[in-house]
This record gives sequence, structure tokens and C-alpha cells, in this order.
Amino acid sequence: MTDYISLPLIAFPLASSLILLMFVSNLTEETKQRVGPIIRMASLIFSLIMLALTTGMFFEYFGDFEGWEGINFNTYEFQERYLWIESLGIYWSVGLDALSFPMVWLTTFLLPVTIIATWHEKSAATYFPLLLMMGGALIGVFVALDLFMFYVFWELTLIPMFFLILKWGGDDRKYASQKFFIYTFSASVIMLLGLVTLYFLQDTTTPLNYAGSMTNRSFDIPTMIDASMIANTNGWFLGESVQKILFVMLMLGFLVKLPSVPFHTWLPDAHVQAPTGGSMLLAGVMLKMGAYGMFRLPFSLFPHAMESFQLALMLFGMVSLVWGAIVCLGQTNLKKMVAYSSVSHMGVILIGVATMQPLGWAAALFMMFAHGIISPMLFAVCGAFKHHYHSMEIGAMRGMAKHSPWLATSMMFAWMASLGLPLLAGFVAEIMMFIALWYFIVAEGWSIWWMAGPLLVLVVTAAYYLWSMQRTIFEGGEETQPPASMAGHAIPDITNAEKFAMLLLALFTILFGILPWIALDMMSDWTNQMFDSVILPILGGFEGGA
Amino acid sequence: MGSTGTTETIHSSVIDFAPYIVLLPMIAFPIILLFGRLFNGNKVWISTFKEGGIFALVTMATSLLLAILLIKDYIGAYGDDSKSALHVFDWFSSAMWNGGATTTEISFGFGLYIDHITVMLLFIASFLCLLINTFAIGYMNTDPINDNRNHRFYAEFVLFCAGMLGMILADSFLWLFIFWELMGLCSYLLIGFYYERPSAAYAAKKAFLTTRVGDVFLMVGLAMLWHLFGSLDYAVVFDSDNIAAVDPASLQWALGMMFIGAVGKSAQFPLHVWLPDAMEGPTPVSALIHAATMVNAGLYLVARMFPFFGAEAMHGELVDLAFIIASIGGITAVMAASIAFVQMDLKKVLAYSTMSQLAYIFTGLGCALWLANSLDWHNDDDAHYIVIVAFGAALFHLFNHAMAKGMLFMASGAVIHEVHHAHHHLHHDDHHHTPKELYMLSDYLTSKKLSTFEFFKTIDLDSSGEIDMFEFQTALKNTEVADLPPWEMGDLMKAVDLDGNGTINVPELDIVLAKIKGKTYEEHEHDDHHDDHFDAQSMENMGGLASKMPITATAMLVGSLSIMGFPLIGGFWSKEGIIANAWRVGLEDPRFFFPAACVLLGAAMTGFYMSRMWLKTFAGSPNNEVAAHVGPTNTWIKIPLFTLTFVTLGGILFAGMGFTHWAPDSGYALMSEKGLFEGIGYELGHAFANHDMFFFTLTYIAIFLGAIVGPGLALSLYGGALDEGETAKPWFTPILMLNAAIKGRYSWDNSAFATSSLSRALQNRLYFDHYYDMAMLKIVAAFSLKAAHADSKFIDGAIKTIESTSQSASTSLRKLTTGSARDYILMAAVGTLMLFALIWGVMA
Repeated sequence: MTDYISLPLIAFPLASSLILLMFVSNLTEETKQRVGPIIRMASLIFSLIMLALTTGMFFEYFGDFEGWEGINFNTYEFQERYLWIESLGIYWSVGLDALSFPMVWLTTFLLPVTIIATWHEKSAATYFPLLLMMGGALIGVFVALDLFMFYVFWELTLIPMFFLILKWGGDDRKYASQKFFIYTFSASVIMLLGLVTLYFLQDTTTPLNYAGSMTNRSFDIPTMIDASMIANTNGWFLGESVQKILFVMLMLGFLVKLPSVPFHTWLPDAHVQAPTGGSMLLAGVMLKMGAYGMFRLPFSLFPHAMESFQLALMLFGMVSLVWGAIVCLGQTNLKKMVAYSSVSHMGVILIGVATMQPLGWAAALFMMFAHGIISPMLFAVCGAFKHHYHSMEIGAMRGMAKHSPWLATSMMFAWMASLGLPLLAGFVAEIMMFIALWYFIVAEGWSIWWMAGPLLVLVVTAAYYLWSMQRTIFEGGEETQPPASMAGHAIPDITNAEKFAMLLLALFTILFGILPWIALDMMSDWTNQMFDSVILPILGGFEGGA
Repeated sequence: MGSTGTTETIHSSVIDFAPYIVLLPMIAFPIILLFGRLFNGNKVWISTFKEGGIFALVTMATSLLLAILLIKDYIGAYGDDSKSALHVFDWFSSAMWNGGATTTEISFGFGLYIDHITVMLLFIASFLCLLINTFAIGYMNTDPINDNRNHRFYAEFVLFCAGMLGMILADSFLWLFIFWELMGLCSYLLIGFYYERPSAAYAAKKAFLTTRVGDVFLMVGLAMLWHLFGSLDYAVVFDSDNIAAVDPASLQWALGMMFIGAVGKSAQFPLHVWLPDAMEGPTPVSALIHAATMVNAGLYLVARMFPFFGAEAMHGELVDLAFIIASIGGITAVMAASIAFVQMDLKKVLAYSTMSQLAYIFTGLGCALWLANSLDWHNDDDAHYIVIVAFGAALFHLFNHAMAKGMLFMASGAVIHEVHHAHHHLHHDDHHHTPKELYMLSDYLTSKKLSTFEFFKTIDLDSSGEIDMFEFQTALKNTEVADLPPWEMGDLMKAVDLDGNGTINVPELDIVLAKIKGKTYEEHEHDDHHDDHFDAQSMENMGGLASKMPITATAMLVGSLSIMGFPLIGGFWSKEGIIANAWRVGLEDPRFFFPAACVLLGAAMTGFYMSRMWLKTFAGSPNNEVAAHVGPTNTWIKIPLFTLTFVTLGGILFAGMGFTHWAPDSGYALMSEKGLFEGIGYELGHAFANHDMFFFTLTYIAIFLGAIVGPGLALSLYGGALDEGETAKPWFTPILMLNAAIKGRYSWDNSAFATSSLSRALQNRLYFDHYYDMAMLKIVAAFSLKAAHADSKFIDGAIKTIESTSQSASTSLRKLTTGSARDYILMAAVGTLMLFALIWGVMA
């Protein structure tokens, strides 16, 4: 079978970006200026090829709008495996299932959109290849089926993002990029320690498939999940305390990436300083790596531990949700507000996860996807705002509806989508989470006060978005003049490229809001499969269940 | 996954087209928006297509036509337990796990559901949307401040209609909620239509947020209801076997939470604060959203709960909730009416009146639900009749109120429109518009202490005394005048070219500049265009308009009488029913004396404030010059007023036809089995010659309060005869004569009340808005600022502490790198020893 993933989706963007960067690095400033548009166009075309490929996968293999072919849990489509380091059991192993495919498609969708939205970014010759590299690294994380490979790509994503922030960022970019790098890297190191422990605790007397010739241990994720499933049915895989410790170590890496309060403070700094394109990919896909990792590893491997940490997960989710929203309300910086709203929305994912309901998990998966479309639009709007008004302060510019109707419309749309307006993508995930949470609370006999958090947040979210719109889109008739930074120049509306990108994002937000089943059927199929194979046989029927 | 299929109990070929009732306006939304953008300012677009108004009109007419066909088929199939459903698509499906060994499949779908209640609301909504659309073409397109943005209005208008119609037709509480929120969005956009006004921006935000508070509870209610039934589809939750299986207390909580959503949407106490502010929107919006359709959504939601209350399994279990619904209604009815006493703004009076009348309907519904819940109406025919009629009275009031209030708002819009017009006509004819750039030039010259001639001499390159555009442009690029403020060159050049012939006439320019010297553009603009503190909505600027706007005055009169419950006119039939039912329940359950007393008192109050409004606007002499120059309105506005006047007057016809059978029930068909005249006779007899002594007396007390005491007080205080020489239509004559007579004889001084603290409190809307704002500002906003501070100081601070600690630790560790071989050997030795010790410890 042809390998549709390794070469076209990972190697191609990574290699092409590297070649372009090497080519550009030796040029003079002037030549760089000249080749910038060509490189930009090339990057766009490359990313469109990737998008065409993943969209083709969607239509050809995974089915069509009428029905999804179920894929059993822990089996993968387009799976390929190449030997990498034989002695240690490291393979280049890739594959897609309904958990990773939406994320991969989302990445390939966001790449061209980001390129279009930031069409006029400075230093185009190096900027656009970096975006491509980012895309390749992100796809690598989602398709990796080998722990080693997973970790390599996990860290690889940091590099282009680090440079994007460092080179194209705001005034405080140096601090922000370093904080971003060190913070997430330290957390990943703990995760790595967990992964390595997982590797070393394997039984060498009966080596797993694809085990290394020297170590008799395997890095293969599907094999490990199969082994853990058998072990978990007969008690705790690796023993209770080890499983719990490993669960915590892995979760720490993922929670920082998500991010969940109290590990979230790198995010606002990174977002505020990052360039628009960086923010779009960061919020759109990179945060979801955390949630994706949780489903792929700890939840699949350690369902027992997950059940015992259910309360903690719920607490992390609730605190992220509520705290993120309240801090949002206290922000005066538009981009910071949007960044904290991401924290709040990631709380929804955690809550959905913690309900241990298929509906809640499907809600979490759909939230990952929906937020992946909506939040890039939020940041694109913020970027355009900054670009036009030379300020990120809410209230610096009022009456946008008059001066820049396109920007105002995009802003209102993105804001409304993010606050969960029905018929837009975010609402579907929210209502699912709401129903799953209530069902869970009643079934488990938890206090109904757990509902107070989401309840409050729905109002507070509306409050901060509406409050910021009141001070940007509305008001400012003839009394309010444009900010002094405009120096009396007439204010242009957003460029055609930006309009086009906004339109694309808006259209897909509406599409997945009205016809959520396009993505959701696949996701609920996956959660149902996972429940049937992992959760029910292992946890079902026990008195502590649900 | 979308699949289509019908499960129907009536046979209608139209139901397959029913989705288009919602779909058409939804599709029209982007089309109007797109065309509006493309052809903005285009002559044909403005005059022929009315900036999209015609598109909207055609769409709404088609929707109405489809709706009427659907209703006709539905009524044609009466007699049985008529329901019709159309499954449109499966939305999504998933599973739930209760901890056992299997999971349960669940799914959410979308479809249409048609029963008695749907039919009623469907007609009201589609009919009024069309009429208000007609009105909007006459109102919006002739208002100069709407310059080229009416397409936005029409786009949002049709989207709103799609939301309303969708909510009515939806087949589950989930989709009811989805369309409900869509309406909320449109209401937000339409209230903020004049986005440049801070007050409009504030009002829009307030409306969205206040209703959002209710919506959140509605969402919780939905989650609870879903948990009880495992579905939100009407077909499942209204099934009596399913209802019998749930715990009544939980169901009461779920419905109670949903009721809070209704309270927010229908602007009831304590979530009522948004409605008066929402009058910031253009008048057609007030008519559409805040009188005729959206505020009815909350009532619709409560009416939808009827099957729960009516179920035999729930007998007597849900009476507390019914009482709460009725009491919220009672409180709001009196509170809103009393605030309406002191409002001077025409639209605000109507807003509070809306609130108060909606409260009547809530009381009516609460009583009907109580009756349905506690009477043995499934087996007892008399009880059955009582329940059906009580529920019908409440919904009939919804119908009457929607028609009358929609008309009142449109009429008030016509008045405001014409007053504004007259004001503009009187004060602004002689003004000549001076471009902004000339002010800037004037300021610049003043600041440089240059005369006009001196300035132009410096840039007159060929010293010809005349400066052409080319010269001007070149000169401005010169270094000498490079410190000019950064103006828009094109506009500046257009501004200085007074005759538009391409050359600058310096002497003439000098005269113009001298005229505006020392003034700022903003000052001038302020007294040139806009309101110059003239409030076209204030009744202070009206009076005596009956002779000038006969159709509007008539419509307003009929609407007011209907709202007051004046005998034989529309609202009378339903209002009497609500009051009678409240007392009927009060006799059974003493708690209900409270709402019953409220609605009875409210009748008198309604009589007063509605009469006051009409008299202050249309009777007496004009309050000022502006009011004396008001002219009649245009045809687009007259059509809906004319239509609705007759609908409102014809209340008895509807009552006679049996427009009171709105409960989804098999026993009573939608239309009365009696003939029209027999029906009218029955209704008349029932209303005025009730056999029961208690209700006989009650009817006359209510009529006395609502039609004599309230209006009588107003007649003695306000209005009066028209000025000499003004002639009004003959049907105004008795009212005006009565007014003049009463005012002449019984006029009294109410200034003691007007200056009392109660009056001040009422003028400040009983301080609700004030305290809500304070709570937002002092508690929520203050806390969020503290939280933001804590987030960066403590949470991020902790991380920074770790960072700085590790930095200083590494600095001290670095000191170990001494560079001396002896030290390294020592450290290596110690390290090896420790390692050995460790391994030994582990092994042992």
C-alpha cells in the first residue's frame, strides 16, 4: 500500500521548509525581499496539496456524509511501519484513526488559511517556511504510533513556534518565547520520563511485538495498548501505584500543553507576543496536542488510574473553566482576553473527559475540533485589529462597524462563535458537555453544585465578549476620534486576503455548527469503540463505575 | 446521516414544504447582506428594491403563504388528537454509560412538529412579520440617519423571522432553544442597529446578557429534562407513559429551571430590565421583537409545558410551579404598569405596557396549568371544558396582545417619524452643509495667523490670482506647507472647490471661511443635524395629533382599547377570561388570591396609562411648534395599521369561531363546532350574563375598573379638546368631547404625587437597573480585576519564583566548576561512592 502519510504529510512539509530556509539563509536582504512572494506562493501551494490529500482521505477512505465505516479501537488506517533503530525497538510508525484524523485535517486546513490570513507578514522568505515546518511537526505528533517518534515530534513543534515568536513577536517577544519554550519543555521532560519508565517496565521475558533486539522492549503504541488492555482486565496494568504515578507523569505534560489552570500562565504571554500566524496555529492545533495525547496514551493505557483521578480531572476542568472566564473579564488587552478564553474552553474538554461518558468524550473531541476552527479566527481578528489600530487595548478604537465593517463583522462572528451561539460549531460541544455533565452528576450522586461552574461561565463568557464588542465595534459616533497612533490617517478595512481567510473560517464554523455529524459521527464512533473495548470490559459493571 | 421521513397523524401534502417556512428567510439573510454590500448606494437598489426591503417582503409573504396552507390542512383534519411531525435529519448521536456493562445509544435530531399551539403562534409570527416588514419599508427607508445601511436591517430582520418561525415549528426542546438563541442574537444586532450611539450599544449588551442569564437556566432545565426522559423530542417527552415514569419532584425542578429562561426572554420580574432599554432599536424592531414575536417565546415555552401539567400521572404534583408562574406574572403586571404611569417617552410606555400584558398571559397560563394539574379533567367533562378554556384564554390574550401591541408600536413609530420629520423640516431648511475640511482649514489658518489671501498667495505658483487643482496639489507637497495636518487630500480639494469647476475662487472661499471662523465642526454639526436635544419620542413634543394623523390615531385608539380590555374589542375577551380564571383558581387554592388581585388591580392601571398615552399624544392642543406641523404618514406605514385595526376590532369574530381551543387535546377541535353567530352569541352571553353570581359580579368589577376608573382618571388629567379650527374624524368626537368635559369639570392637581418619592422611584424604574449595574460594576467587574491581578501575581508569580530559585541555584552550583583537577577528582570519587551506596541499598 502506498504510504499516504509519511512522505506527503510529514516529510514533504518538513523537507521543503528546510530546503527553503537553507536557500534563503544565504541571500542578501534585498534578494530575500524579492523571493519572499515566490516562497509565500510556494508555501501556499504546498499546504493546499496537503489539504487536498487529507480531504481526499476523508471522502475516499473514511466514507462520505451518509455514514461512517466503523474502525475498531486501536486499529489504524493508512498504517505504515519502517524500522528506525532496530536495537532499541524504535520504528517510524504512522497511522490514522478517528481520534487523529480530525486533528490532521484541521492542521492541513489551518495551514493555508493561516498563510492567507497573514499574507502580508514581514520577512516572508523565512516566515512562511516556518509555518510549513510547524504544520509538518504537528501532523507528526498526531500520526505517530511509536512513543519515541511521538516524543520527537512533540518537541519538534516547539522549535518553529519558538522562532515565530522570537522573530515576529511583539515588544516582549524574547521573554515570551523563552518562557514558552522552557515551560512546556520542562513539562515534556517529565512526560518523557514517564514514557521511558513505561518502556523499561515492560516484561523482557516475553517481549512484545516490534521489540528491540537489544532491549527486548517495544515503543510501539498499538502493541502497548493491546498489552495494557489484557493486563487491565485482570487488575491494574503495571500495578496500582506504578500506574497511578505514570498516569500523573504523562498527564502533567499534557495538562501543561492544554493548558489547564494552574499551568496556564505561559499561554497568555506566548499569545500576546506571538505573531498572528503563530497564535492561530498555537491556539488552533498546538493546544489540542495536550488533549489528543491524553486520549492516545494515559486514558487508553491506564483506565483504572483515570477512574481514580476522575475527581482531580473534574477539578482541573472546572477550575480552568471558571478561572479562565473570570480572568478574561478582567482583561483590558484584547489578545490576552482571547488567550484566556482558550484556557476556559480547554476546561470544557477536561470536564467532558472527566464525566467518563461517551457523550462527554465525544463532546471533548468535538470541542477540540470546533475550537480549532474558531480560535484561529479569534486570533486572526486580534491580529487585524493590532495591525490596523496599532494597539491591543479594548477601547482604543471604537465604532469599528463604521470604519472597518469587514473587521467588525468578522469580530462579531468569531466572538459569537466562541461564546457558544447555536448553529455554530462551539455550541454543539457545549450542549453535549452540559447534558453529559448533568447525567454524570446525577448518576454518580455528586453534588448538583458542580453545575454552578458551567452555569456561571456561560454568563461570564457572554459578558466579556459582549463587553469588548461594546467598546470596539459599537459606539464612537462622531465624538470618538481614531486613536492618536493613527495620526489622522483614514482607517482602511482589512485586506482582501484577510477577508478571504475570515470567510473560510466562518464558513466552516457554520458548516460544522449546522451539520456537526460530518466530524461528530466519526468521533462518537471512536468513543463508542473505546468504551466497548477499554472502558466497559475493564471498569464496567463494578460498583464504582460511571 | 441526514434522512427524511414523515410520521404523521394528519395527512398534509404541505408538510413537506414546511421546512421552507424557516429555510427561506434563512437563505434570504446572506443574500440581502451580499447584495446590500455590492450595490450599496446604487439608485435602483435604493428606490426599487428598497435596500433589500422588497426581498424581505417577498420572502416573508412566501413564508406566510406556506404557513397558511399548512394551517388550513391542519384545521381541515380536526376532530382527533391532531399532531403532525416531519423528521428532517439526525443531528448527532452518541451514547451514555451508567456504570453498567453496556452503554445506551442516544441521538438528537431535527424535525418539525405541528399541533394546536404551533398553529396559533405560526400564524401570529408569520402574519406580523409580513406586516412589520411592510411598515419597515415605509419607516426605515425614509429616515435620513439610516443612510445606506438598511440592507443590514432587512438581513437581520429576516434572520430573526427565521429564528422565530423555527422555534415555533421545531420538534424538540433542543431546537426550540437553538432558534431561541438565534432570535437573541438578532435582537442584539437589531437593538444595536445604531451602533454609533453608546446608549444603543449598552442596551444591546444589556438585552443579550439579561436574557442570557435566563437562557443558562433554560439549558440546565434542558439537561435535567433530558436526563429524565433520555430525549428532548416532543414526541417522547409528551408521551403520557413516559411522563408517568418520571419523578414528579425532579420534573418540577426541570420545568422550573426552564421557566427562568422564559422569564428572561419575556422580560418578567426580576429579569425585566432589558426591555425598556431595548427601545433604542429602530421602531420596527420594537414592534417585531419586543412586542409581537420574540417576547412571546417565553410564553410559548411555558405553553409547551401543558402536557406535563395535564398528564394524569402528575395530578396535583406541579401546583407549586403553576403558582410561581402565576405570581411572577402578577408581580410584573402591577410593577410594570405602575412604572408606565410616569414615563414620558412614548415607546417606553409601550414597553412597560408590553411587560405588564405579558405578565397577564403568564398569570393566565399559570392558572390554566394549575387547573390542568389539579382538576380531574380527563374524566370530568365540565372540568375538561374549564381547563381548555382557561388555557385558551391565556393564548388568546397572546394573540390579541401581539396584534394590538404590534399595531401600537407601528403607530407610535409613525408618530415619532412624523414628529421627527416636522422638527427637521422646521429647523433645518436654511442650513447649508459645510464640509469638515473647511473647518480644518479655518482652524489651521487661525493657528498660523494667516489670512486666506496670504495663504493662497504662498501657493499661487503662477501668480494668476486663481489657483487650479494641480497647483494646489503641488503646493501642498511643498515643504513650506508640509506641516499641514494630515488631511485626506481628495476631500480637501473637493471642499475648497466651492463651485466645482476645478479652480479655487479665493475671495469666495474667504467669505465662507470667515463665516465659520472660531467654530468647530462638531459644534456646528451638532446643531445642524442631529437631535439638538430634541426628543422625537417624548410625549412632551406631541399633543393634538388626532386631526393630523387620523389613521394612526385610530389605530392607536383601537390598540389602546384592546390592551385596556374595553368591552367588545379584541383584548377584552381574553383579559376577562384571565381575570376570571385567576379568581376561579383563587377560590380553590387561596395562594392564588395574590396573582388574582394583581391582575384585577392591573386592569385599572392599564386603563389609566394607556388612556394617558393616547390623550397626551393625540388630544388637547399641540405642546409646541413642532407638534403643530406634523403631517400624515406614508402608504407603506398605513397598510399594516389599517389591517391590524380591523383584526383587533374583530376580536369577537375570533372568539366566536372558537379561538380559545389551543390546548393540544383530542376533546376540542381547533375551531368551534358551533356556527359563527351561535358562537358569538354564546361568548356574549357568557361574558355579560354569566349564570354564576360570582363571575357575573367579577366581570362588571373588571369592566368598571378597566374601562371607567382608569380611563376616567386619565381623562380628568390629560388631553382636552383640539385647537380651534382643527377637525378630527367623527369617531374621535365623543372621546374628545368627553375628555374636554371631564377635564373641565373634574381636573385636579396631581403635582403632589408627581413630586413624591414614589413617583421618583417609578421614574427610576424602582432602581432595579441601578442596583443591577452596581452589582455588575462593584462585584463582578471588581472581582474579575482582582482575579486577573492574582493570576499574573500569584500563579505566574509561583512559576517565576521557581525560575529565579533555579537560576540562583545554578549560579551557586556553577561555583563548583573551579577548574582545579584536584577538586574534580574528589567530586568524582564522592559521587562514585554514593552511587555504590545507592545500588547496594536497592539490591539489599
